[in-house]
Amino acid sequence: MKKIIVVLVIAISITSCFKDEDDENNNLSLQFKNEFAGESIDLETGTYVNSSDEILNISTLNYIISNIVLIDASGEEYIYPVEESYFLVRENDEASQKIVLNNLPFDTIKSIRFGVGVDQSNYPLNGVNNFVPTAEENNMLWSWSAGYIFFKMEGVFNSENSQDEPFLYHIGSHGETLDNYKEVTLSYENARAVSTVNIKFDVAKIFAGENEMSLEEKADIQVDPVYAPKVISNVQQAFSVTTE
Amino acid sequence: MWKKITYLICINLLLWSCGKDDEGGYESITNQQEENKELDFKIPSNFPDLTYDLTANPPTEKGFELGKKLFYDGKLSSDGVVSCGFCHIQDFSFTHHTHIVSHGVNGAIGTRNAQPLQNMAFMKEFTWDGAAEHLDEQPIIPITAEVEMNESFSNIITKLKGDEQYVQLFKEAFENDEVNTDNMLKAISQFLVMMVSAESKYDKVERNEGAVFTEEELAGKAIFDQKCASCHAGTLFTDQSYRNNGLPLDLEYNDIGRERVTGFAEDHRKFKVPSLRNIEITYPYMHDGRFATLKEVLDFYDEGVEVSETLDPLLQQENQVGIPLTEEEKEQLITYFKTLTDTNFLLDERFAEF
Repeated sequence: MKKIIVVLVIAISITSCFKDEDDENNNLSLQFKNEFAGESIDLETGTYVNSSDEILNISTLNYIISNIVLIDASGEEYIYPVEESYFLVRENDEASQKIVLNNLPFDTIKSIRFGVGVDQSNYPLNGVNNFVPTAEENNMLWSWSAGYIFFKMEGVFNSENSQDEPFLYHIGSHGETLDNYKEVTLSYENARAVSTVNIKFDVAKIFAGENEMSLEEKADIQVDPVYAPKVISNVQQAFSVTTE
Repeated sequence: MWKKITYLICINLLLWSCGKDDEGGYESITNQQEENKELDFKIPSNFPDLTYDLTANPPTEKGFELGKKLFYDGKLSSDGVVSCGFCHIQDFSFTHHTHIVSHGVNGAIGTRNAQPLQNMAFMKEFTWDGAAEHLDEQPIIPITAEVEMNESFSNIITKLKGDEQYVQLFKEAFENDEVNTDNMLKAISQFLVMMVSAESKYDKVERNEGAVFTEEELAGKAIFDQKCASCHAGTLFTDQSYRNNGLPLDLEYNDIGRERVTGFAEDHRKFKVPSLRNIEITYPYMHDGRFATLKEVLDFYDEGVEVSETLDPLLQQENQVGIPLTEEEKEQLITYFKTLTDTNFLLDERFAEF
């Protein structure tokens, strides 16, 4: 009897000084994979033909993912802490293509919603400024404007009339005059208990999307009120969730 | 035996109570500091509403102190010399004394004239072309620009973390104790929003505080209200819009103005209408500092305005380009402009470097 009391007492003393472990300790990985119509992307060396029959080499492919929301089978939404939900996915950095979310309240996912870029309507009151160092180190911040580059793709293309022409898509919001922030919602047919959500990003759809894009027509799209929204609208449609 | 059990139970209760405390039960010495008092932000009675959301980043004693320290610290630049205060000098309402365009690290020359820092809590967008939508974001531009401070936030945070004074100040100013970009920018904003300039003679007249305009000043005011106040409107002396006021293009800078931010051709060579407060001492004038004196500015409006596609309609009314002014009118206007100087602000020790 004495022994039991002592053991209990020791047990209480050991456990009471520890913080409560989360009962639900669900982690979820978002595995992004960039492709071009089913082919994986090889930066610099890979060649890809877009819907305008232009042959591309891609040297840079980066995008900002933010405001992640997970939705379970009943439609309940879990908003991932906004301050921690800014990520930069880079094709040249494999580790950045896997986003790990911690301590989710459920592990059965029906849908996921995220933003491409930075939502300026909440700006800057949601801790987004802590993302500045990451963005600036990876050249995803315009220096002449206090704004982020949401989507960046660069490379070289060849076509009937162009030889080794550089191309450049730098898409962000234009001050308060143009909001290029887009949200993407991806759903499984049926809710699934997953530890990894595989998200595919199809670069081919940037050209063959709702808006037909041709590099011949415009190879340099930065602060462009006509073309930038077209690109980002296609980008929004280029994500899909796969069940592997 | 019972003594032992009681002893053990007491120890456990003690240990248990430390588990209950959310912060792990340790009250560090630095937490027992003086309370960080909120600063009182008074809106002058003749001023418009605030644009800055003070509830999101309330100015506090420690936040202000930290912001001021950062403002005057060369650590924020790559050469350790160019601080914000390097170009924004209080004596000249935080403009760069006599510098036409600002120069930064390594003797790099910029393309624009440093603007005054005053009444920013009432402003909508920042910089000559509105490239910063929120005051908290504005420092990103000069800090990262190669020709200005040429530094990165990663480097700055590393420098700050290595400085005990800063580590302590960040702890005192922010509940989360963190030395990070968000807190750094918030601290700078807490310093900047407090810069309210509302004690000029003009203000005292407007608020009926016993000041009276002289005849000359009144004459200048009448001309101003008639010929200038449509753009330089209200108590802030700006309607905060972007306009092309007919400055001939300077090929050296080839500055397309607001078009760079919006991409719209109709914004070509448009710049923000600046506030005229403290104008007497914020020379030189215009986005590229091309005019050294107020007389030159008025001569320009009188005879120098150039027609171009985006020239503001207000400057070409009824076949009249510019704003015709007699020499007497120019003198009267300049006399009136001097009533916009707020010496209290220029000498306010709260904002002083030393």
